[in-house]
Amino acid sequence: MMTEISFQQEFEIKGGDFVRAGEASCEIKNLLKELGVAMQVVRRAAIVSYEAEMNVIMYAGSGRLDLSVTSDRVQIVVDDRGPGIEDVELAMSEGYSTATPEMRELGFGAGMGLPNIKRNSDIFKIHSKVGRGTRLEMTIRTNGHRL
Amino acid sequence: MIEAPRHPLKISLEKCIGCVHCLTACPTKAIRIKNGKALILSDLCIDCGECIRFCPHDAIESQTTSFTDLDTFRFKVAIPATVLYGQFDNATLPHEILFALRRIGFDHVYELSTICELNNAAIEAYIDSHPRPRPLIASTCPVVVRLIQHRFPSLCDLIIPIEPAREIAAKILRANLPRILKIEPAEIGIIHITPCPAKMVSINYPISMEKSYLDGAVSIRDIYNPLFQAIRQSKEDTLMCQLFPETIFSGIGMGTALSGGETRGLKNHRTVAVSGVRDTMRVLDQVEMGLLKDVDLLECMVCPDGCVGGPLAVENRFLAMSRILRLVNLLGERTVVDSSDMSMLYHKDFLSFRHPIKPIQVPPLDNDPDRAIRKAKRRINLIKKLPGKDCGTCGAPDCKTLADDIVRGQAVLADCLFVKEKK
Repeated sequence: MMTEISFQQEFEIKGGDFVRAGEASCEIKNLLKELGVAMQVVRRAAIVSYEAEMNVIMYAGSGRLDLSVTSDRVQIVVDDRGPGIEDVELAMSEGYSTATPEMRELGFGAGMGLPNIKRNSDIFKIHSKVGRGTRLEMTIRTNGHRL
Repeated sequence: MIEAPRHPLKISLEKCIGCVHCLTACPTKAIRIKNGKALILSDLCIDCGECIRFCPHDAIESQTTSFTDLDTFRFKVAIPATVLYGQFDNATLPHEILFALRRIGFDHVYELSTICELNNAAIEAYIDSHPRPRPLIASTCPVVVRLIQHRFPSLCDLIIPIEPAREIAAKILRANLPRILKIEPAEIGIIHITPCPAKMVSINYPISMEKSYLDGAVSIRDIYNPLFQAIRQSKEDTLMCQLFPETIFSGIGMGTALSGGETRGLKNHRTVAVSGVRDTMRVLDQVEMGLLKDVDLLECMVCPDGCVGGPLAVENRFLAMSRILRLVNLLGERTVVDSSDMSMLYHKDFLSFRHPIKPIQVPPLDNDPDRAIRKAKRRINLIKKLPGKDCGTCGAPDCKTLADDIVRGQAVLADCLFVKEKK
């Protein structure tokens, strides 16, 4: 069997670094365009990675985003060393947010982050342990579609 | 018309010395130095004209319509961009400038600020009748449209399908002049006077219609000297000035030459105005990541501070801005466009695009997904080998772009002087 060719890149994300917020997602978005991934897939991946990146910046001390692209899927895995989520089901419901007033002032914390990530992924997994951190795994299928 | 080049920018091989100014200034990395001369890569160029601004040798020529080309038309009409009103001293009034245009050979001059106001009202009507999606993006700047098609293809649907004022004005003239003048439509030349090289492309290769209503675009630079002379003469000739029929100007329309001009007219909406090509790209990046969804209208102009900062304008943009703002204040907020006229034209689709704006694919690393992935991996390894000094001596704007060119087969690692030296 032929081994699958994949492109992998990792991005460090610093908690609280609002200045550089979105840089990793932007790089991912541009890379996917260069790889010739269909524009609707690029857009979904951009939204997913941006929301996940922002979650780390807002709630965790630090985190890592691993991107992996093959000819048929884009996978984004985000691991953070943060407080973890007590009630995952509640966190997944639209409008629920634990954002501070400062974050809301910056326009975040509408409680749409996780639901938005789920909506834009084909496969979505979340594992969280209070006091340890959260891991999000998102897969978006490209179905070989090109622009 | 003679076959026009796809891009309005051309490198003068005589003047170009192959330095790196344009190379690093180009926001889409569309320039390389090959054989000691700059070369524009047509697939990547968006006609923004940044290179014109940064070239110290005046080696980038913009191919706009030359003034003498206009002699082929029996009846010549000028539609000057409102930026023109800011190009002469404060004592020179807009109607004197319009009068001077007649003096230098135009048979008719059509004032654009009123149509800018009409366009603004149509944009508002469109926003009001389309609650989604957001943010909608104005299409006035042709470079922004091209930038979106190439770099942000998924945002094409956000472009408001209302023709810019210059095309609406020309369309009105086309519909009426042949009847009034009783001459053949082909004998009438309708010319936009502009600070912007990209207008030429939007005329020769229109995106949202089959054929532009304009016949050409003359740059403000090219017309400045004769116009300046004519203004001085007409000042001596006050009688002629008085005989010139009263023109109505719109303060709202006049302001659209400046960044924030389109959003200023929309009092009941959430708007954002951006100018400058790099900042425009930054904001479009954010829109692509799902931000700015609470904004109704996003106005982007790639020239600094709006059209007033166009590369083919003459006066420094701060003075020009101050003069135009003074006119905007003098004219006030009074509307000159009848809202029922606007509504009629809007609902008759007189103001809208014929075609939607479609994405244009920038060539990926490879058409085959697996090979594209392999090339991306190779590119990362190449970047590690390069010095990261972004000196431009290899002919590419920076090390990352050289690595990109290498995997695309358009350059070799030995093009880098630092790598060569190490060997």
